[in-house]
Amino acid sequence: MSKQKSRQKGTAYFDYNLLFIIIFLLCFGLVMLYSSSSYTSANKYGDSAHYLKLQVRNILVGMFPMILLARVDYRIWRKLGGFAYLVSFLLCVLVMLPIPGLVRSSHGQSRWLNLGPFSFQPSELAKLAVIIFLAMLIEKIPKKLDKFTSLLKVGLLLIPLLGVVAYSNLSTAVIIFGIAVCMLFVASPKYGQFIIVGILGVAFVIAFIFLASYRSTRVDAWRHPETAGDAGFQTLMGLYAIGSGKLFGKGLGQSLQKMGNVPEAQNDMIFSIICEELGLFGAVCVILLFILLLWRMMIIANNARDLYGALLVSGIMSHIAIQVILNIAVVTNTIPNTGVILPFISYGGTSLVFLMGEMGLVLSVSRGIRLESMKQGET
Amino acid sequence: MEWNKTYHRRKICVIFAGVALCGMVLLGRLVYLMLFRGDYYSGLATELQQRERKIKAARGKILDRNGKVLAGNKSVCTISVIHNQIREPEKVIQMLVKELGLSEESVRKRVEKRTSIEKIKSNVDKQIGNRILSYGYDGVKVDEDYKRDYPFDDLASKVLGFTGGDNQGIIGLESIYDEKLEGENGLILTTTDARGVEAENIGEERKEPVAGNNLRITMDENIQQFAQQAAAKAYIQKEADSVSVIVMNPSNGELYAMVDYPEFNLNDPFTLTDVFLEGEEEENAEGDDQDALNRMWRNHCINDTYEPGSTFKVITATAALEEHVVSLEDSFYCPGYIVVEDRRIRCHKTTGHGAETFVQGIENSCNPVFINVGLRIGADRFYDYFEQFGLLQKTGIDLPGEASTIMHKRENIGLVELATMSFGQSFQITPIQLAATVSSIINGGNRITPHFGMQVEDAEGNVVEKLTYETREGICSEETSETMRYLLEKVVSEGGGNKAAIEGCRIGGKTATSQTLPRSANRYISSFLGFAPADDPQVLVLVIIRNPSGVYYGGTIAAPVAKEIFENILPYLELK
Repeated sequence: MSKQKSRQKGTAYFDYNLLFIIIFLLCFGLVMLYSSSSYTSANKYGDSAHYLKLQVRNILVGMFPMILLARVDYRIWRKLGGFAYLVSFLLCVLVMLPIPGLVRSSHGQSRWLNLGPFSFQPSELAKLAVIIFLAMLIEKIPKKLDKFTSLLKVGLLLIPLLGVVAYSNLSTAVIIFGIAVCMLFVASPKYGQFIIVGILGVAFVIAFIFLASYRSTRVDAWRHPETAGDAGFQTLMGLYAIGSGKLFGKGLGQSLQKMGNVPEAQNDMIFSIICEELGLFGAVCVILLFILLLWRMMIIANNARDLYGALLVSGIMSHIAIQVILNIAVVTNTIPNTGVILPFISYGGTSLVFLMGEMGLVLSVSRGIRLESMKQGET
Repeated sequence: MEWNKTYHRRKICVIFAGVALCGMVLLGRLVYLMLFRGDYYSGLATELQQRERKIKAARGKILDRNGKVLAGNKSVCTISVIHNQIREPEKVIQMLVKELGLSEESVRKRVEKRTSIEKIKSNVDKQIGNRILSYGYDGVKVDEDYKRDYPFDDLASKVLGFTGGDNQGIIGLESIYDEKLEGENGLILTTTDARGVEAENIGEERKEPVAGNNLRITMDENIQQFAQQAAAKAYIQKEADSVSVIVMNPSNGELYAMVDYPEFNLNDPFTLTDVFLEGEEEENAEGDDQDALNRMWRNHCINDTYEPGSTFKVITATAALEEHVVSLEDSFYCPGYIVVEDRRIRCHKTTGHGAETFVQGIENSCNPVFINVGLRIGADRFYDYFEQFGLLQKTGIDLPGEASTIMHKRENIGLVELATMSFGQSFQITPIQLAATVSSIINGGNRITPHFGMQVEDAEGNVVEKLTYETREGICSEETSETMRYLLEKVVSEGGGNKAAIEGCRIGGKTATSQTLPRSANRYISSFLGFAPADDPQVLVLVIIRNPSGVYYGGTIAAPVAKEIFENILPYLELK
C-alpha cells in the first residue's frame, strides 16, 4: 500500500499510545534525573539543575530526528542500509585512534568523538546502523534464511563492526549481537539454530569476561560485592539504595544514597535511586511501563505493511528490551557490572538522541498500518 | 522474502514473551532484595549515612564516708576542627597555636587533614574554650566535656586511682568501680552525605547521656589526712624508702585510711614525682618511663608482699592457744639463741631473755619462745591454721592487683622452716593481709574482708546499691580472741610496744623488725600493728617503714608513728 493512498482513504494510523508512553517515560526520566543528581550536581557545579538542563537540551535535540524519522517514509532507509553500516564502522575505527581534540576518553576508554559543541558516541550509531543494515539484508535474501549457512554468512558480515565496537565497549557489542540474533530469529522459520547461537553467545560472553583481566575483577565484585573493595563499591551502594526502598520507598527526593554514596547516580545506577525513593511499587511501575512500550512495538511490528518495517521495529524493540534487562540486572547485581544505561531515564546525550530517532522510525512504521489490517491482525 | 508469514508474527511474540519472562525474573529479584533483604541493606545504609558523635556522661563522684568529695568532675572542653567547614585555614591555625600552645606543625597537619572531624586537643580549660569560641571562626568546634578532678591532689592517690583520656578508671578504686562510676555516654546521630557533611532538613537522633552513680567509700578524709601526715613525717625523718599506714575497723573490715607514702598528684598522674625522677634521669630511656610510672603508682599495702617478722607472732600465739599447746603461765628459757636441727637461730637480744613466762615471751618478742611454741604446734597443724585464718588466700580487698601470699609447700616445711615461720620469716604476705588477719583474730574470730566500697548512690544521695562483703565466722574461738587482746595490750603497756602507749587509752599492739632479703644488704622493715580500745577493738593501725636510716627497731620508730595517729584519731572517733 502506498502512503498517499492510505492518507487519501483517511484510514491512516498513528500510534498515539506509543507516543504517549515515550513522552511519559521521558518526563518521568527528567523527574528522576533531577531527584538523583540535584544534590551532587549542586555540590559539584553549584547548580542543582546542571544535569537536568543538559538532559532537557538532549531531549530537544532528540526531537528533531524523532519527528523527522516519524514523518519520512521509512522505506527510503532500505537504500541506505549498506551506507549506514559503513559509516558507523569507520567512525568506530576513528574513535579508536588517539587523535587529540577529536577523541575524548573517559574511564580509560576512548568512546567519544568531539564534533563542535556536541560529543558523540559512534557505538550508539552502530546499534541503529545494524538494525537498518540487517533489515535491508534479510529482506533481500530470498527464502534462504532457513539454511544455517546463510545465517552464518549474515553473521560474518557483522563481525568487523562487532569486533571494532567490542574493542572499546564490550556491553555495546553484546547489545548489537543480541539485536542481530533477535532480528534473524524473527526472519528465520527455524528455532533450533538460534538455541545453538544463543548458547554460543552466552559462552562467548562468559569466556570474554573471564579472559579479560579487568573484567574478571568485575566477576569477583559481582559475587561478593561486600568484600571486593573498590570494584564492588558501586554495586554495593546500589544494593543499599534498593534495599532501603522496601515496599513504598522513602518518597520522591528522599534518597540518602544519592548524596554521593552511589557514584554517578544519574547514570547507569538511576534505577537504584528509583527503587529507594519509590520502593518496589515504583520499580514495578517502571518495569511495567517498559513492557507496555515493548508491547506497543510488538503490535506495530506484527501489523507492519511489509517485512522491512516489521524487521526494523523488532530490531528496535529488542534493542530497548536488551538495554532495560541488562541495566536492571546490573543494578540488582543479577549479572556482573557493565555500563548499560536505562533507556529514556538515564542521563546521556548520544544514546537518548538515537533512542528518540529509533522511536521516530517505529512511529513511521506505525503510520503505514491500515486500520483494516489492524483489525485483521488482531483477529 | 515474503511478509505476512504467520511464523514471523509468532516469533515476534516469542521475543516479547522472552522479554516479559526476563522482566518477571528481575521483578522476583527486586522483591527479594527490597522486601526480604531490605532490613539488612537499609541497616547497612543507615550505618554508612549516619555519623555519631558521643556525648560524654559525667562520671560519678567518689565520696568519703561523710560525703566529702574525693574525686569529682571539672568542666573542660575538647577542641576539634571540621575540615570542610573551615574558611580561613591560616587564621585558624594561628589562633589554635596561640591559644592551645601547640606547635604550628602539629596543628597545621590536623587542620589540613581531609577528615570529617579532627580532634585538636582535649581537656582544655573552659575559659580557653570560651575564648576560642569567641573568635567565631567557621569549622572550629568546642565541645564541652568533663575532666576528673581530685580536690585533695595527692591524698590517698594510690587508693583512689585516676582516669585516662576516655574517662576510664586506670588504677585503684576508679578502676575497680569503673562500671558503677562511668555512666552511659549519649549519642548524637546525624545523617551525612558521602563526604561526611551533615545533610540539611533531616534532623538528628539524640540519645541523652546518663550520669554515673556516686561511690561512697569507708575512707574518712580526716583520718586519711592524719595518717598521711604521720607517714610523711616518718618518711622524711627516717629517710625511708616508703611508709605505709593502714587504718581500719577490725570488727567489719572497713578501711578508714590507707597511705603508701610517697603518694603522687592525682591531677597530674603522668608526671613522675621527684623521687622517681632521680633514678630515671640516669637511665633516661624512653621505654623506662612507663616502668617508673608503674613504680610510682604501686600501692605497697596490697601490691607487694614482705616478711612480716615479729608482728606475725600474734598469729603463732593464736594458733598455739587454739591448739592448747601453751598456756599463759608456761615457762621458757631464752639463752639468746635456739638450736633447731643443725641450725642455730639467734634471738634479737643476743644475751638472752633468761627465764620467762609465755606472757613475758610475747612482751619481749622473744624468738626462742615462739620457735618453741611453733615446734609444739607442728608443721602440719601450723599449715592448717594458716588455711583456717585465711592467710593463704587473698583478702578480697576491693582494690586491683592484690598480691598472693608466698608460702612454702605443705610437704616442704621442715623443722627449720617451721621455726622461722613461727616468728614471721621465710614467707611473705601483704600488709593488708596482716592487718585483716590480726583484725579477724582480735574481733572475736570473724574473718572480715577489708574494703573501701560502702554504697553506690545516685546524684541525690539515694542508695542505689549497698555493697556487702563476706565474713567467715569462727576462725578462732572467742576465748582465744580475748586472750590475744589481753596479751597484746600487755605488749604495749609493759613490753616492746611501749612507745605506742597513750595515757588513759587501752592500746594493744605488736612491733616487728624484719630484715629484707638479701640479708647481707642490712636493710630493714620496721613495723607496728596496734589497735584500740584493747578490750573492744574499734580501730586498728598498721605502720610499716621500709628501709629507715639509723635506728630501725619497730618498737623505736614505727610505734611512735602509730601513737601519733592514735592520738589524733581516737578523740576524733570519740573512742578515748
